[in-house]
Amino acid sequence: MGIILKVENINVYYGNIHAIKDVSFEVNEGEIVTLIGANGAGKSSSLNTITGLLRSRTGSIEFDGENISHTPAHKIVSKGLALVPEGRRIFQQMTVKENLDMGAYTGRDGFDDRLAEVYERFPRLKEREKQIAGTLSGGEQQMLAMGRALMSSPKLLMLDEPSMGLAPILVEQIFDIISSLHKAGTTILLVEQNAQAALAVANRGYVLETGRIVTSGTGRELLNSAAIKKAYLGG
Amino acid sequence: MSFLYFLINGISLGSIYAIIALGYTMVYGISKMLNFAHGDVIMVGAYICFFSLTRFNLPPLVAVAAAMLVCMVLGMTIEKLAYKPLRQATSLAVLITAIGVSYLLQNLALLLFSPNVKVFPSIVGNGKISMGDIVVSHVTIVTIIVCIVIMVGMTLFTGRTKIGKAMRACSEDKAAAQLMGINVDATISVTFIIGSGLAAIAGVLLCSTYPTLVPTTGSMPGIKAFTAAVFGGIGSIPGAFLGGLLLGIIEIFAKAYISTQISDAIVFAVLIIVLLVKPTGLLGKKTREKV
Ligand SMILES: Nc1ncnc2c1ncn2[C@@H]1O[C@H](COP(=O)(O)OP(=O)(O)OP(=O)(O)O)[C@@H](O)[C@H]1O
Ligand SMILES: [Mg+2]
Repeated sequence: MGIILKVENINVYYGNIHAIKDVSFEVNEGEIVTLIGANGAGKSSSLNTITGLLRSRTGSIEFDGENISHTPAHKIVSKGLALVPEGRRIFQQMTVKENLDMGAYTGRDGFDDRLAEVYERFPRLKEREKQIAGTLSGGEQQMLAMGRALMSSPKLLMLDEPSMGLAPILVEQIFDIISSLHKAGTTILLVEQNAQAALAVANRGYVLETGRIVTSGTGRELLNSAAIKKAYLGG
Repeated sequence: MSFLYFLINGISLGSIYAIIALGYTMVYGISKMLNFAHGDVIMVGAYICFFSLTRFNLPPLVAVAAAMLVCMVLGMTIEKLAYKPLRQATSLAVLITAIGVSYLLQNLALLLFSPNVKVFPSIVGNGKISMGDIVVSHVTIVTIIVCIVIMVGMTLFTGRTKIGKAMRACSEDKAAAQLMGINVDATISVTFIIGSGLAAIAGVLLCSTYPTLVPTTGSMPGIKAFTAAVFGGIGSIPGAFLGGLLLGIIEIFAKAYISTQISDAIVFAVLIIVLLVKPTGLLGKKTREKV
């Protein structure tokens, strides 16, 4: 099990706002790793820096043995790194099928097989193939966002708050899907505010607080840590 | 003069507006900017075609192709030099730049082509056909056919092709498009190139119908086509066609039945009324985020 993603000492700014401070973490092949933290802790900024949408002023980001710190955002996905962004960001005016097409934009080889896999995992998407994506329910939109990312057959799938705004039953369903994707061999980096659920499925976790990593450990360790319980698990 | 005669001429003028409006709307859709220089690209296209025909005696189709080629290169260059550096700037800065580019093109045309009126030779000759009791020129018919072909072509292009879908994806969400692996800068460039190629066609058709060519020829049709794009719903391709056609028809009817002098005022009054009733234009969509 080699390291697939190594983030070393990154610092990210929005103008004068220092959003990410000396953050380092890594993901091994086959793991689910979670980044947890409160609102504004810097979780999304971290993921967006990995995908090249934001730039770090220092340090490096290595993916699959290659330094991608300066790779343009549109060249990231073809390296095997896909992000399901916060708020889903599906293409609202396109159909479900067209959204999935966009997910496979860089690699058309094996398109039909991947589409079949995604439809098998999310049968609802097949039923709604021709529907305009903006008219899907929130849960369906999240599934579409995940399906779209899976269309690129990523080596590492990054998910930014996939359970946000969903009813409890749907949250459970999303976490089941994450577990089953993991079992099927996908490496996952999961960002969540729902620390309880995230730590329960994760091998390891990092806790972000105002742009810094303050704690890390296995999922179980963090779940049982008194400080974490107090800050993120409501007691 | 019959109702039908005015209607056909209205549709023909509207077809020209629609083709211009398409360029406006596609560029707006993807870059959220109003490219006020678009009208002047029409003028450049018309001059290139004019000189290709009269000075170099090229066949009409080759002359049109030359005009398209020059305008496509021009559109790409304008985007690269003037707009791309402003990707992060305020929309006001971009708007002012676009107006600047518009004046630059007009003044370059004054220098290069002189202010003298050029009489544009119709690209399809001056033939006419009679349909029942009305007589319609070939240009009118050709304009309408070209517009239909472009409309069908662009609908297929944006709906079916990979680059067309990428354009729609970029129009909606540039960050998400990048995450899909779409090169947003290149896609914006392609949009300007297509819009400018269409502007060249519009310029040729416009001057074939109204043969006086001067450096400001593109301004008024440009503004009217912009109006048409807003009228139909800016950013919407079917909206550009509907808006263009309606505007052309309204303008011709206003000229025919009310007054030539105030026809433009009527056209803009209609725009204001439509926008008061439906601020997004006839086919404009308002997208709401679902949580
Ligand atoms: N576009 C922006 N401009 C300025 N500051 C920003 C911007 N985006 C984020 N920030 C700031 O950076 C910090 C980290 O934000 P980030 O979105 O990464 O947090 P987060 O952990 O993802 O929060 P949430 O759980 O609410 O999504 C916050 O202080 C935020 O205000
Ligand atoms: Mg976030």
